[in-house]
Amino acid sequence: MTELKILLAIWKTNLLSAMEYRAAFLTQVIGMLANNFIYFAIWIIFFNKFKDVRGWGVNDMYVTFGVLASAFGIVSLLFGNAFTLSDIISKGRLDYYLSLPRPVLLHTISSRTIASGLGDFLYGFISYGLSGYFSWDGLARYVLAMLLAATVFGAFLILTQSLAFWFGTMTNFSGLVLNAMLTFGIYPITLFDSYAKLILFTIIPAALMGAVPAEFIRAFSWQVLGELLLGATGFLSLAIFIFHKGLRRYESGSAIQIEI
Amino acid sequence: MKTFSKYWSIFQITLINSLAYPGELAGRSLMIIPFMWIFYQLWKVTFSAAGVDSMNGLTLRDTLWYLMLAETIELGRPPIARTMSESVKDGSIAYILNKPYDFLIYQFSTAMGETIFRAMLNAIFGGLTVLWLVGAPEHPEGFLIALPAILGAWVLHFCINAMIGLSAFVVEDVSAFSWIYQKLSFIFGGMLIPLDFYPQWLQTFAKFLPFSSAIYGPARLFVTPTAQIFIHVMTLQLGWIIALIFLLTIAYRRGLTQLTVNGG
Repeated sequence: MTELKILLAIWKTNLLSAMEYRAAFLTQVIGMLANNFIYFAIWIIFFNKFKDVRGWGVNDMYVTFGVLASAFGIVSLLFGNAFTLSDIISKGRLDYYLSLPRPVLLHTISSRTIASGLGDFLYGFISYGLSGYFSWDGLARYVLAMLLAATVFGAFLILTQSLAFWFGTMTNFSGLVLNAMLTFGIYPITLFDSYAKLILFTIIPAALMGAVPAEFIRAFSWQVLGELLLGATGFLSLAIFIFHKGLRRYESGSAIQIEI
Repeated sequence: MKTFSKYWSIFQITLINSLAYPGELAGRSLMIIPFMWIFYQLWKVTFSAAGVDSMNGLTLRDTLWYLMLAETIELGRPPIARTMSESVKDGSIAYILNKPYDFLIYQFSTAMGETIFRAMLNAIFGGLTVLWLVGAPEHPEGFLIALPAILGAWVLHFCINAMIGLSAFVVEDVSAFSWIYQKLSFIFGGMLIPLDFYPQWLQTFAKFLPFSSAIYGPARLFVTPTAQIFIHVMTLQLGWIIALIFLLTIAYRRGLTQLTVNGG
């Protein structure tokens, strides 16, 4: 309970800090909304010509793209430092968080807000609304699936970026796997054979961020919900375990850091 | 000549600098491999579902090689707008503006220096992936014929990105404009879907825009290296380059009057 209070206080401070530059904040949010709309137009053009990809149509794309955008957005908004965790580790910037009596991982990743994340988050709901699958119980499933997808995504970021404890600077690798996750997440899952699908559920769990949540949103199924819950708890537990395992190897650079 | 040698030296220094961290350079270029693999999956299924070997003059092999070159151009270009925006934010632009060189040509020289090896590695990794997936391009000589158009594409990208970067003189944070420009390039440049597959009205409109001169033109020339396409692509590209350099020069002169340097 105490941790939740602190988390809420951090998020409030982050939001106030971002709102200090109101014009930049709004530009980023509106810019990201526009960016997503333009990007999705490519899929509209594609499906207008080719109708479907092995049974996967533009309506399915609206839901998949939407839930992925919202999950990405909520992680950017609430846990912005998850995207730069490897940099924080390799540059010795964990010192600040280690010196405070709070859970290191939670405090570190929640200490930054990426304003454009709000644009992604909102876009996802609009995309779902336009999909033709909208219903009120579907919206409840959308929120649940999005939170589980965000958990998988956040855990994946922590997991891959924590490798910096062993290998030092990982900026390129982190960028590569992040791009792979997002790219594979938005493409129709029906494109892939069973080997590729195995990779998309395990090494790069893009299916748990795009196609599987989208399936759950379209129609309730205990099996799909079970897959999502298992994926989210499994990846999150693994991410926390790897981070703490790595933390034992952490060496401070003794650099003077100022965290604002 | 002396003026030119100054910028040539800046270009050479950046070019050598880009080789200082070969691991990072190679690592960044690996990104093209999953992109090409996923494109292969998408277009293989699409061609198979359509039940045709060729669509609007492009086979599956042509489409993959087209996308490889389009990705090489896109992934090879450095984030000039962001660099310019950051130099305005941290005040370091003051050190560039008071040096005895033209700000825009300096930026162009450094951008080209960063582009060359980055694009080369993307072409190598992307080319090997596509070679493995669909075999050699039908016209390998197309790469040499498309080379002037590729260089022109980078000049066009530079002009547009520099204009976005110059907007930092007024608004400081330009990331939203960069995202939107990138997505407009995707859609009107034929980055993910060749423009030939678009509805006719959209094709006509998109092919006239600078985005298509920067991506679709060179990529299409690579897979269909005919004299007619070469003349068409180069003429349109040259027209846009002249127009954009003119606009960029005006934007720079006006931007300077609005610039406020914070520290530095």
